[in-house]
This record gives sequence, C-alpha cells and structure tokens, in this order.
Amino acid sequence: MRLLRLGATAALWLVAGSVLMLAAQPARAVPPFARQTGLACEACHTLPPELTPFGRRFKLNGYTLTTRPPLVNDIDDYKKNTLWLTDLPGIAVLAQIGYDHYDRAPPDTGNPYPAHAQSDTYQFPDQFSLVYAGAVSDKVGAWLQLTYNGEGGSVGVDNIDIRYSDHTIDNKFVWGVTANNYVTFQDVWNGFGSYTIPNFNTVTLYQVGVANAGTTGPIINTFGPGIVAGLGAYLWYDDSFYLEFSEYHSSFATGGTPVAESSNLAANGGVLDKFAPYARFAYEKDWGYNSAEIGVNGMYVNWIPSNSYISAQQILAANAAGNSYTPTQTFNPGAVNRYTDLTVDWQYQYNGQHNIFGFLGHVTHERQQNSDQLVAATFTSPQGGPIYSNATDNLTQFLVTAEYFRNRRFGGLVSFTRTTGTNDPLAYGGDGSPANQYETFELDYVPWLNVRFLLQYDAYQVLANNQNPFTLSNNTFPNSPGFPNVKASNNNTWVLGLWMDY
Amino acid sequence: MNKPTTRALNVAALALAACTVLGSARAADISLPPDPGARDARTLVSFACSKCHGASANGISISPLFPILAGQNQVYIATELKLLRQHGRSDPHARAFMWGISHALTDEQIDGLAAYFSSQPAVSGQPSRNPELAARGKEIYENGVAQPKVVKCAQCHGENSGGTNNVPRLAGQHPGYLKLQLHYYHDKLRENILMQRNVANITDDQIDAVVEYISTLSGAPESE
Repeated sequence: MRLLRLGATAALWLVAGSVLMLAAQPARAVPPFARQTGLACEACHTLPPELTPFGRRFKLNGYTLTTRPPLVNDIDDYKKNTLWLTDLPGIAVLAQIGYDHYDRAPPDTGNPYPAHAQSDTYQFPDQFSLVYAGAVSDKVGAWLQLTYNGEGGSVGVDNIDIRYSDHTIDNKFVWGVTANNYVTFQDVWNGFGSYTIPNFNTVTLYQVGVANAGTTGPIINTFGPGIVAGLGAYLWYDDSFYLEFSEYHSSFATGGTPVAESSNLAANGGVLDKFAPYARFAYEKDWGYNSAEIGVNGMYVNWIPSNSYISAQQILAANAAGNSYTPTQTFNPGAVNRYTDLTVDWQYQYNGQHNIFGFLGHVTHERQQNSDQLVAATFTSPQGGPIYSNATDNLTQFLVTAEYFRNRRFGGLVSFTRTTGTNDPLAYGGDGSPANQYETFELDYVPWLNVRFLLQYDAYQVLANNQNPFTLSNNTFPNSPGFPNVKASNNNTWVLGLWMDY
Repeated sequence: MNKPTTRALNVAALALAACTVLGSARAADISLPPDPGARDARTLVSFACSKCHGASANGISISPLFPILAGQNQVYIATELKLLRQHGRSDPHARAFMWGISHALTDEQIDGLAAYFSSQPAVSGQPSRNPELAARGKEIYENGVAQPKVVKCAQCHGENSGGTNNVPRLAGQHPGYLKLQLHYYHDKLRENILMQRNVANITDDQIDAVVEYISTLSGAPESE
C-alpha cells in the first residue's frame, strides 16, 4: 500500500510536471542576478546553488557585475557615481516544496503507537523566500533574504551577505569586505558550510526524523541567521588564492543588547560569548573544463550552553544576592565551552559542454573543551547536575558527494556523511555516542534552470539517540513504550521535491 | 539531406535583419559598468570580459566553453560583438552568456574592445599528439572533401589559420571550442549561411580531425 501511495503521488507530480512543461515557454527571465547581468543561470551555476568558476568570481566581486541601464544616475564633479539605481530592483521568489515519506511513521506523542501516526507529509512550502540580490552601487552588492520556514511556521530574516569589493585593473588582486549573518554563507565553494551539496531539504529531514533522531555535527554548521552575525575581509589573489578573516558575535533576532539573555539561551541551545574568529584559505586551479579547489578553515568559539544547569546557577546566584529569581533576568554564570573547529574541504568540477561532474566534500574536526562547571568530575553546585561526562570531547565529520548532470537537465547525486566522536553519555544520552551516518541519493529533472524536480532518498544507518541497527537488541526506544525497536533506518525517507526560483 | 531550404534561409535572413534594427535601437548610449569612468576598453575587460576570457585581462580563456580572444582579428571581434548585441547570433552559448553581457555596449565600446583583444599576444598551436589524425585533418583543411562536399578551410582562414578581417583566426583556439562551433554550424544552431553550407556534410570524425590539425597551426601571416 505504502508503495502504491508513493507511486500515485509520484505519478501526480509527473503529470503536474508535464502540464507545466507543455504550458510554459522557455524561461527568459530568471532571478535577479540573471536579470542584472543578462547572463543565464548556467553562467554562475552548474545547478543552483552550486557555483561555477564564473559564479565564484561574480560573488567575490561583490555581486556588482551589471548590464542594466540605470534609471537614476547621479555623478559628482569628479565623475564618480554617487547614485546608480537600476530600473529593476533585484527581487526574487524562491520556493521549495516537498513531499516526504518515512519508512516508519513517527510516533504519535499523544497516544500509544500506532494511534494516529502518519508516514507521509507535505512540506508545503518547505521554504518560501523573498530575496533582494544584486548590486547596490558599483562596488557594493547584497543578498538579503526573508524566509517563511514551513517546518517552524514562522517568517524571519534569513541569509544576509552585504559586501564591498574592488580589484586592480589586471584582476591580480580582488579584495572585499563582507557583513553576513551565517558563518560560511560568504564562501564560494560548495564542499562545506551553508551551501554544501546536497542542498535540498536535508536539514529538515534529520530534524524531524522518527523519535527525534539526531545527527550531531560540528558547531560551525549551526551558526546561522538569528544566532550570529559577523564582519570579514577577504583577498582573492592571482585568480587562485583565497584568504579570509572574519569575526562573529551573537546576534539575536529579538534582542538588541549585547548580553546572553536566558530566553535566547533556551531558544538557540546556547549563545556565542564574546567574539568568534574565523579564518579561511583556499586554492583553486582551473584548467580546460576542470576546476579544482582545496581549502582549509578554522573557527574558535566560546559558547555558553543552554541547560537547566544555567537556571540552577541563576537561582543560586539570585538567592545569594538576596533577589528572587526571574527567568528573564540576565545572568552569565561563566560556564563557557570552547570549541575549535578545523575543516579541510575540496571540490572538483568538470563543467563541460554537455556533462557536469562534481566530486566534493569536507572533513571537520572539532575539539570541544567543556567548562569545569558543567563536567561531572569537577561539578560542585548543590543544584542541577553536570551536563558533560568529559572535560574534552572530540567530533569528526566526513562528507563526500559525487554528482552528475547531463545538459543541465537530468542528473543526480550520491552523498555520504559520517560523524564520529568521543563517547559522552551526559552530553549525547543513550549509549553516549554522537555517531551518525547517512546517505542521500537524488535524481533531478530540470526542465528549466529555475525549476527543478527531484526525487531523493535518505538512508540512515546510525543516528545519535536513535541507535545503530547493529546494537538494536539492547536499545528499544525508552520514551515511547508503545514504539519499541526504533532503529536508525526507520528514518529513511523518500522526498519528492520542487524547487523554483523566479 | 542537409541542404537548407531557401525558405528557411530567407526566414533567417529576415529575422537577422529584424534583430539588427531592434538591437541597434536599444543599444543607445548606455554605460557599462555603472561607473562612467569605466567606459574605456581596458576597464571594461577588467570588470566584465576577464571573468570568462582570461582573468588577467589577456584574452586567453581557461575553459574551452569560452573562446580565446587574444590576437583575434579586430574586424571579426567587432562584427561578432555587434551580432551578439543584437541577438543576431543565437547559438546556445551566445544566448546564455553574450546576449546579456553585450546588450548595453555602445559601438565605441565595441571598437575599443576589438582593438584591445586583437592587440593582445596571440596563442600559437602545439604539435599534435595524434599525427595520424592531424594528417587527415590537414587534408580536409587544405583540400576539403570531394563527396559529400566539405569546403576546404584554408580558402578563407588561410594556410596557417590566421584568418583575415572578417574571417576569424582559428590557430591557438581551444579545440573544444572549435569543435562545438563546427557542430553548431552543422546543426544550424549558429547563424552564418556560408559556414552552414561549408560544413553541412561534415561528419563527427572529420570535425575531430580538422580541429586536431588546426590546433597545430601557428596563425602566422601567409608568406605568399
């Protein structure tokens, strides 16, 4: 039955796709960068969001390349532009819609399984964004994104990257400054960070998996909009070497003061303390149809974790000061973890006349030094409890993706992710292992470069808190009595997706 | 079988003429990039062209998706740029890349760009790694094919493939780019009635061979 239902839905999508194909003319207008430059998507992207060598240079040059005629143009006595407004603001709509089918229905939390459990759900939309993208002046460009998140049901400020860029006449040196709110969003390669390939829906999948299964990863992956913002400077030398230094501070969607408020701690699982430096070096070599990159980056983070222990400390401190505790009271108990994340990433791209092939990924190693106040051996507070077993935890994530596209119309990818680390029962629960491992298989059909249909299958072998099938006999899922024998592969998911940019 | 019908040619010619009129009407006095100080060719190249046609503005592209422009004939560059600006060249890559990027260029800018790229040191061919294939290509290049007819390339492009005025230099060009253009002409995806006729009967093997030979040529002026 399950297969039948899936088949019926697939057929529906196919029909819908075919109707669209028949009804629509070849897309002439595409999102704002294309409108601004007059270039088709393929100039900058293999398939969005993955960048071609040209796309990388467009971004490094501050999104400023334009061929639009100015509607308003003001020039001072020294013949410099003081205002240059295009006739067309760079507004775009990005929409992702998904249909998910789980191998096993997530438990109905209100009733014993299988009361009202469902395996199938639409993410409609999974994500819907309005974007301004394009040149602001001849040397400043911006990407400003406002997103409705289907999973959270909220509208909020999403990715932002505002950059200034200039270059020498021979392009030997290109330099710039970027202000952004997502660590790695400013990067131009796709082996790690916010635009890692695969890019469709994968976050949603493991966050809503069966029995809240987890895919613990390095903390650098989590510094997105509403949590941090930062300023960076970069240099692109000799069309090959990229060097960047950035620093990030906490930046809350709802908070205007530079403090770690309790409400924010709870909302984001913690808060960044002081500033976090980020450094990036990459080398790109292009030859023929080929482009290869190898790079490293590192980030150092002081992080105040959110936990009931913080509340306990707050109560103690408030009592000691003779005040009654209120949850909104600002208090930093000094419990700070220190994270050092080091990543090696690579990307090989063959961007031929008809064939595109990519091989990309990263290895990230994270060293997490936990605050004495939070580690079992050194924990002294009479209230609350420690939240880490070890003074130092290590985590290593490995991701590798291979992709192929024919004529930018048909294609797909295979991706493998494995994370391993120090056993820490207090931090990770269950058997204490943060390990997780999963693959993504994706088939894509791209009738137009701004419309993409995809069929994805995500297969999980190991998930934190959700147990490795090989140790299943010891680990029924403890919090769902009517839902025994949860295993990682229960989260395996089919996704039918539609991605449109206009 | 590959002979184009007269009607199709007429339609193409009419379309070309229409594009010419429309194109020249819309290309009036628009600066690119927005900085008015950037109207000179060197700055334009640095700002825009170099992103594909050689990062250091030398006109030597890395990817065979984009042609090498260094040392290309000035008249040919100007002619093609004007064609691209008015959408008179509609091969797939012209549409994807050059239609947009060239649409705001003025005649003055185009002349400047043509002069700039033609004055850059040209690239010469390299000895073939497949002499047998190159020898077959040489035969086609210099004598053409009798039946089914393929016109000899040397007739217009010159023995060393340096081209003249409106005829492009082929020497030193990316082999991948040359092959693609020959396929475009053969499949009538790139407008040029003469070239479409010349290669109407060419086979894939012949394209490989002739490009292999062109890749060995110096582009040096004919000695006569």
